[in-house]
Amino acid sequence: METLNFSDSTLCIMSILMIVMPLLSFSAVLIRRTSGGNFAVFNISISFIISILIFLTVWNKNIVHEQLTWFSVGERQFTAGILLNNLSVLMMVLVSGISTLVHIYSLSYMKGDANINKYWAYLGLFCFSMLGLVISDSLLLIYLFWELVGFSSYLLIGFWFTKPAASQAAKKAFIMNRIGDIGFLCGIMIIYSQFQTLDIVKLFGEGGLVSSARIDDGLWISTTSQMPAIWLSIAGLALFTGAIAKSAQFPLHTWLPDAMEGPTSVSSLIHAATMVAAGVFLLGRVYPILDHFTLNVITAIGIITAFMAATIALTQNDIKRILAYSTISQLGFMIAAMGIGAYGESMFHLATHAFFKCLLFLAAGAVIHQLHHFKEQHQLDFDHQDIRRMGGLRKQMPVAFITMCIAAVSLAGLPFSSGYLSKDALLITSFEWAEGFHGVKKAVPYVLVLSSWMTVFYISRLIFKVFLGKSRFEGIHDPPSPMNRTLMVLAFCSIFILFSFNPFSYENSWLVQGFQDAGVLRLDPLHIVVPLAVNLVSVAIIYCAYIIYVRKDAKVFSDESFFYRFSNRAWYLNEAYTFLFTRPAESVSHFSYQFDKRVVDGIINFLGSVIRILSSISDWVDRRIVDGAINSVAELAKSIGNLSRKFQTGHLQHYLITMLTVVIAFFILNYFL
Amino acid sequence: MIPLSHFMLISAGLFCIGLYAVLTKRNAIQILIGIEFMINAAILNFVAFGKFDKFEGGGQMFALFAIVLAAAGVAVALAIILNVYKHFKTIDPAKIDTLKD
Repeated sequence: METLNFSDSTLCIMSILMIVMPLLSFSAVLIRRTSGGNFAVFNISISFIISILIFLTVWNKNIVHEQLTWFSVGERQFTAGILLNNLSVLMMVLVSGISTLVHIYSLSYMKGDANINKYWAYLGLFCFSMLGLVISDSLLLIYLFWELVGFSSYLLIGFWFTKPAASQAAKKAFIMNRIGDIGFLCGIMIIYSQFQTLDIVKLFGEGGLVSSARIDDGLWISTTSQMPAIWLSIAGLALFTGAIAKSAQFPLHTWLPDAMEGPTSVSSLIHAATMVAAGVFLLGRVYPILDHFTLNVITAIGIITAFMAATIALTQNDIKRILAYSTISQLGFMIAAMGIGAYGESMFHLATHAFFKCLLFLAAGAVIHQLHHFKEQHQLDFDHQDIRRMGGLRKQMPVAFITMCIAAVSLAGLPFSSGYLSKDALLITSFEWAEGFHGVKKAVPYVLVLSSWMTVFYISRLIFKVFLGKSRFEGIHDPPSPMNRTLMVLAFCSIFILFSFNPFSYENSWLVQGFQDAGVLRLDPLHIVVPLAVNLVSVAIIYCAYIIYVRKDAKVFSDESFFYRFSNRAWYLNEAYTFLFTRPAESVSHFSYQFDKRVVDGIINFLGSVIRILSSISDWVDRRIVDGAINSVAELAKSIGNLSRKFQTGHLQHYLITMLTVVIAFFILNYFL
Repeated sequence: MIPLSHFMLISAGLFCIGLYAVLTKRNAIQILIGIEFMINAAILNFVAFGKFDKFEGGGQMFALFAIVLAAAGVAVALAIILNVYKHFKTIDPAKIDTLKD
């Protein structure tokens, strides 16, 4: 480790190489139109290796920050550059590592898909933009990659775009993310107008502009300008809106369950492990600008989301939807931790969650994959994602069973797992934080604990329903070896050893030590009481779930009860949004359509017919009067010509008669008139 | 003594007969005869006016010249008619209309 000593510029070149490698597979696959799977895996592996090198060099050492002028508007210069600190190198390793595993997994999982080359291209684009997002040093660049990440997520959700549900889900995800993007953009604009720079180091670094700005007499004063103090909160809330949409927090979370329409490997990579964590990452980046009010809002949103999604996950029957709501719930934990100032604990949970949730999804994907094949082989028709149809897969799919159990233990936060460390870190810190307050804030840790117990229940339900109980399928076996090996690697990453050598103390974890601590008073008793109490109850809950689902094969709530339906329909939020926003928007657009059709089109059509009438008048004038005059002159000439032609008979005597007539006429004229 | 107007009337009548023949006949020879009538009407006028002229015999002199010229003209005209006949196999002027455009 000591031998790794790259200079700053080498590191920058390495990180650029790292983010460009996946882009290479994007462009190469699009150009060559081959399946490109191995090429994509090769590229992302290179990225992963480079990111590990960078990680080992930068972690807990000096911040690397290199930049150059990107463009300038008038006097103002915009810079672009690379910022490598603990936060970004951690995310970098996380993203590239999980991407590599998911790429390898996809080699088997997506085998035989007609549009496989597009799949690799989109995945490459996603990895490029996510890694770019992580290492960018300016809010503008982050915003750019933020949009790219959203776009590639849109492409991948709608990967099976021929399914109407998939294209609907893609649109929904995109539109909901736009709402957050607008917030993010507003935040960027406020920050720019206050500080005249978007450089993260200048803004949020040690003694940066944000920390040196002060609130004085209702004014928010920076070194260059000032504005009313309310704008500080607005800026924080606006940036948080971006995080709400990207990290699927209440009330903009409804896109994430629908995003499960995409391939399971995509759900695993993007909608469980990496992209949804971008919101938490953003909060980590802009942390110094969040004031007390904003932090309280963040905490509130976080615990609401954690609690709500956990209750919804209790009653879902689609295996991927359970995991999706679980993801939302866990993201709520992270956001709430950000809100209470537990910055390091939040990032810790982000890292452990990335591994075990990715594993849960990939194991679920393995089950779905095998069931789907089974269904096709035996020409059966059933929903291969419905856990009520599964059962007893423990014997047939041992690898999937064991790895998923490890992930579930980690999600439940039982000892010896990575989830135990991070979740207990969160809970203990929240209890310590709540000690300093009275009133409503006291409830925060209890809501989190309650959500955590619900997590235990729904993940036990999932495991028991899928893997235990009566076996319903004969002849199902574990998926091909690339998928199996991926699961095993992730299972290893989900146990404590990777994060801390002491399985019971999160404070010894290198990851938590890499970030500033929450700044709350350490209360020793809590470090024993909280994990003990939480885990004893958790074990009891698992036992109850075992009794209910395996022994008795019973239900907890009847399908008809209000709570069951309320939870199963996801608190009726989709219906509420349809009623509150979609319908009014539709009626407004219908009205404006009618207005356009009747009034605007009517005016245009009326003007059109007026002009038509005018033009037919002028047509008539032109045809009859102008042309008529010309034509009548021509007609006159023609008739004169015809008349005189008649004299030209060729008969000698006729000429003579003509001559005679002329002479006589001359005489008559001359002498008698 | 016969008054001048009688000569004039006769020559006018003669001219009109000639003119009529020229305009109506369906035979080139008859048209030529009509022309001769008109020339003779003119010659008759020369002689009649010559009687009242103070230079004795001037009218007769002109008449003689005119007769000679008319004879020459007739000779030429007959030659033309002969060629026309050779060309068109007819001397009916109503059937010869190649002067038309």
